[in-house]
Amino acid sequence: MAVLLLAVLLAAPPIAFAAATQQEVEEALTCQCGCGLTVHACNHLQCGSGEPMKKEIRERLAAGETTEAILETFRARYGEKVLSSPTFRGFNWLAWIIPFAAVAAGGLGLAVAIGRWGARSTTAAPAAPEASGALRERLARELAEFDAE
Amino acid sequence: MPELGRLAICLALLFAVYATGVSIVGAIRRRRHLVRSGAHAAYAVFALVVVAVAILLRALLAHDFSLEYVAAYSSSTLPVQYTVAALWGGQKGSLLFWAFMLTLFTTIVQVQNRERNRDLMPWVTATLMTTAMFFLGLLTFVTDPFERLPIAAREGADLNPLLQNYWMTIHPPSLYTGYVSASVPFAFAIAALATGRLGDQWIRSVRRWSLFSWFFLTLGNLFGARWAYEVLGWGGYWAWDPVENAAFMPWLVSTAYLHSVMIQEKKDMLRVWNMILVLLTFSLTIFGTFLTRSGVISSVHSFTQSGLGPFFIGFLLLVLVVSGGLVAYRFPELRTAATVESFLSREAAFLFNNLVLVGIAFAVFWGTVFPVVSEWVRGVKITVGPPFFNRVNAPLGVALLLLAGIGPAIAWRRASPRNLWRAFATPVGAGLVAAVALLLARVPLGYAHATFALGVFVLGTIAQEFWRGMRARQAMLHESAPRALSRLVGKNRRRYGGYIIHVGVVAVFVGVAASSAFRVEVQQTLAAGQEVAAGKFTLRYEQITKQDDPHMSRLAAVVSVWRDGRQIATLAPEKRFYKKPQQPTTEVAMRPTLTEDLYLVLGSYDEESGLVTILAYVNPLVSWIWIGGVIMALGTTVAMWPTLAERRAPAYALGAARVPAD
Repeated sequence: MAVLLLAVLLAAPPIAFAAATQQEVEEALTCQCGCGLTVHACNHLQCGSGEPMKKEIRERLAAGETTEAILETFRARYGEKVLSSPTFRGFNWLAWIIPFAAVAAGGLGLAVAIGRWGARSTTAAPAAPEASGALRERLARELAEFDAE
Repeated sequence: MPELGRLAICLALLFAVYATGVSIVGAIRRRRHLVRSGAHAAYAVFALVVVAVAILLRALLAHDFSLEYVAAYSSSTLPVQYTVAALWGGQKGSLLFWAFMLTLFTTIVQVQNRERNRDLMPWVTATLMTTAMFFLGLLTFVTDPFERLPIAAREGADLNPLLQNYWMTIHPPSLYTGYVSASVPFAFAIAALATGRLGDQWIRSVRRWSLFSWFFLTLGNLFGARWAYEVLGWGGYWAWDPVENAAFMPWLVSTAYLHSVMIQEKKDMLRVWNMILVLLTFSLTIFGTFLTRSGVISSVHSFTQSGLGPFFIGFLLLVLVVSGGLVAYRFPELRTAATVESFLSREAAFLFNNLVLVGIAFAVFWGTVFPVVSEWVRGVKITVGPPFFNRVNAPLGVALLLLAGIGPAIAWRRASPRNLWRAFATPVGAGLVAAVALLLARVPLGYAHATFALGVFVLGTIAQEFWRGMRARQAMLHESAPRALSRLVGKNRRRYGGYIIHVGVVAVFVGVAASSAFRVEVQQTLAAGQEVAAGKFTLRYEQITKQDDPHMSRLAAVVSVWRDGRQIATLAPEKRFYKKPQQPTTEVAMRPTLTEDLYLVLGSYDEESGLVTILAYVNPLVSWIWIGGVIMALGTTVAMWPTLAERRAPAYALGAARVPAD
């Protein structure tokens, strides 16, 4: 299976990164037609919002404007809701930080707990037996169970 | 006839109230006849809901437009399969359908447990019937599916065209099945908390139900993704829409439970945690329904919005308060001594797996509700869209994939250096070889690259597990390779079924990573005979064709697809104009292969000039997402399939043998 996967991956088409900046800006903005998709993803028939926005982005990029400047223009026009993800400023930081902080806190708690449990387990318990031994042991037990059925 | 349906729902509500009350009284006073009466009442609730569903279905099929629901969600020209699907296509019908599934599962649980779990069953019945009361109460007092119009409509408004698709006939029922069957483990958890029988009994009783629920949540999510891919026409399959997130969150928590429950079974620890995961899964199904119904967060699923949000939030609060209260009350009894000896152990790998899964669920929850939080705190509306979810979840997803490779192969308790070498040398080697090969094939470093290499690592650990198990059987029992393999799986269905599911998960990860990172998109306006290149394909627009029938008119652009100077396909992306809800839709045309999908959308057509705008997407490896789904279904079937002993033994004997009293 691994070999098959690798073969398929290698046979996959070569990579293309066409018009990355145009796409980047379009994906950073939400279409205002109510579809809930990004400007890039909205494909509504002659969308009254998405199409003019795409055109304006193209023109602004051609005029040499930076991604940040273009996003700022749209933000000033439509409000913050036009941005497809929260900014990295002020209160919005919480949107980005809290998921990672929660996982990090959980991970830290788990690490401390496992460390403590490990130290507490007085055990002179032997390490796990070798895999082949474990397999043989399990196999023998299951076969015995099977015979008993 | 519709009045009979309404009567059936009212009676079902009364029986559900009776079943709940009498079950609780029977349990507290230890009166078996009362408990039995409660179970019988639950059967009656199911029978009455079946009557109501049959009447609504009959009204739909007979085009009885005097009913508001039938007039709103069907029409006389709607094909029959979508007329049946209209049963759950609107809010009232979907609530009735939910009640139907819930009472069906209640009945199955009652039959399964006729002779076992006598201490738990009254509380299980009471919990399931309380949930049924909520839905039947909504159908009786708030949103009546049998409401008559003052004047019968001459024609129906039709089902939303976006829902007139094959995948929409199976996506909602799958998701509902997953959602509603999560009620069964929840009910057993509440019963365990209520009775104080907190050992393995309830866990064993719901093992298959948990897997069943998880399975249908998996299918529901994948069918929904497939529907979005085919119908919404933006070249993708997952937009992190709030309602998609609502279906994804219980899946994540349920997946965490399926892993952590193994630690409880093996080592009798994590009782509190597992209890919380079961309660949380159910709560998230209600939260999901709340998101769908309330419209509090804007969503593409707006066709199901209504004013029912407050009722769902009220019920959710009730569930959280009762569950939380019971867990707090039983906390001293639930606590067990934890013994994880080392970071290098399967227990630790499973715990970190749980952390990541619940972490992703939390990240999705946080992103989904953050617009509401922002508006509440700052008074500013913001959007939390796909870029946020992709950025936050991509690293967590990669970590999860890594753990999927470590968990199955690492030893319980404490892995010795020798064990680590034996377990991981080959798979890690395979992963590293893959990483280098991919770099040589010009796949840049990044999440996609990491996903592919880790995918090879995970598949390596799984293949090694199969290989070693098979070889051990061959060595000890002198079985042929196919026989050894089939008996290995047959004797350890849960374990090897789980491995097969992991293979499917890898396929889904690879499909998602490749199609997200390496998609090619082209948009071009063409006159007849003109060509445009899309990746390795050349597309030639040939002509426009038109079709018209009473239900819809279609406009299709015929596009021939060429590769290396040879025509390999003809595709015809469409625009459809449905006539009853006058609404245009996009019908994509696809040429799917194992390596990539060529995906065409007809953007626009100008009648005067004859020009069409074609959007072409080349989506690498998307098929592997659907193939992964099939593999996951296969693995789940293996894991759930009863053993020979279970098939031979009657249920009551099994119950007695396998579920000892605490």
